[in-house]
Amino acid sequence: MSKVHPVTGDHRVPFVVAERVNKRFGKAHVLRDVTTSFYAGEVAVIVGPSGSGKSTFLRTLNRLEKHDSGRIVVDGIELNDDVQHLDAIRREVGMVFQQFNLFPHLTVLGNVSLAPRKVRNTPAAQARAEALELLARVGLTEHAHKHPHQLSGGQQQRVAIARSLAMQPKMMLFDEPTSALDPMMIKEVLDVLKDLARSGMTMAVVTHEMSFAREVGDRILYFDEGRLLQEAAPDAFFDAQQDERIRAFLGHIAH
Amino acid sequence: MIGGLLLLWPQGWSRERKSTATMAVAALGLVLFLLVLGHLLAAAPDPIGPNAAEFAKGTWVTLELTILSGLFGIAVGVLAAVARMSRLPPLRWIAGFYIWVFRGTPLLVQILFVYFALPGWLSISDFSSATLALGLNVGAYNAEAIRAGLQAVPKGQTEAARSLGLKPLQTFGYVVFPQGIKIALPPLVNNVVSLLKDSSLAYSIGVIELANVGGRVHASTFQPVPIFTTTAIIYLALTTLLTQISGAIEHRLDVEGRI
Repeated sequence: MSKVHPVTGDHRVPFVVAERVNKRFGKAHVLRDVTTSFYAGEVAVIVGPSGSGKSTFLRTLNRLEKHDSGRIVVDGIELNDDVQHLDAIRREVGMVFQQFNLFPHLTVLGNVSLAPRKVRNTPAAQARAEALELLARVGLTEHAHKHPHQLSGGQQQRVAIARSLAMQPKMMLFDEPTSALDPMMIKEVLDVLKDLARSGMTMAVVTHEMSFAREVGDRILYFDEGRLLQEAAPDAFFDAQQDERIRAFLGHIAH
Repeated sequence: MIGGLLLLWPQGWSRERKSTATMAVAALGLVLFLLVLGHLLAAAPDPIGPNAAEFAKGTWVTLELTILSGLFGIAVGVLAAVARMSRLPPLRWIAGFYIWVFRGTPLLVQILFVYFALPGWLSISDFSSATLALGLNVGAYNAEAIRAGLQAVPKGQTEAARSLGLKPLQTFGYVVFPQGIKIALPPLVNNVVSLLKDSSLAYSIGVIELANVGGRVHASTFQPVPIFTTTAIIYLALTTLLTQISGAIEHRLDVEGRI
């Protein structure tokens, strides 16, 4: 597994390895032989047109979608039907969704502290203290006792990030975290993501925010029609793009 | 009427406070109603006055039937709803069969069946038979309401909970069920109000509840108008108070302020 990373020339053991991953929804072949690796501390940004399979690929990494064939290994644990494997992986890989998916019946504090209390059996007082610390980190201390519907979209997404971080994951998956937000709120969420990246978090981010991809990404993955068409460093991807289709995509998204 | 009492409280009060106040007042109202009912009716002219104690006793029995079979029916409803959505086919079949039978046959027949047709070693009192039959009947309707509520919880909620590492049972208990039961609450409230009225069918196996008292007093006095008017008013008072309490519970659970 410790092959040389195609872009960064890295020799480290990858945190996630995906090999020839295939996935079909009925007749639609949404992932075709996707092979790639994610390394500790790396920010991988996944881009591509809608319906290219990028979100589906992200969702196979914590098995919200099952892959039909191929192999996915996360932190040395293979993703298969073994429920204990699955629970172990989900504790280590956090996920943030486009629609936030906060628990509407719980307060912000309740959202953030639920999983530590129930999954890690953290005592209530400690879980609460840790949750407040995380809320401070995403700038939402004063909203701790509100319910999600009382917050703006950007605030909700920041709570969702804090909720995921509360499980102290080794890697975070972001599925179009700013796509449901209006422009005013996109920045506040991206700032949190940049902060996380700077802190050394391993991240895979599906997004349409190209300036974010260029600034924060260590590597850009481009998906098209279910294939991983290209992996490149941001400079090469944005400034020296050879592929016509990708250039068209970049030109289209810039305007 | 659901808004009723809730609208009385000052605007500035929090949702919880209004809800608690409403529940307290309605519960108090219910207790007071039961306490003074006997005295109130005793002051009424013939044929109500002389039979006031019987009406009061019948009202108690009606309320007991409703509360016991209501609690039983909620427990059965939750179990049947969960079984109906289970991954195990036999559980789904059993729950489906139960719901099919109890929604597809008359309640009166169910009450008669439980009281008369159960084998001797299983025979129970008329009151217990009525409670069991009413509970099983309302349970079948509750099951469908709860199932619809649970299924209305967005899939993203389960995905978020599972990706946080919560196990399936924890996901159900902490995330899906609290939201689903909230969605199911309005139909559940209707079921309980219906239950209060349907408890009058216990009359058929000799339970001396409110409707039965009315029938008995009528049989001995032949004055249908005052007797059945009184009976109806007592039922109406009970259903009104019940709607207030359940409206307050609904209001409390309505964290998103949709009602």
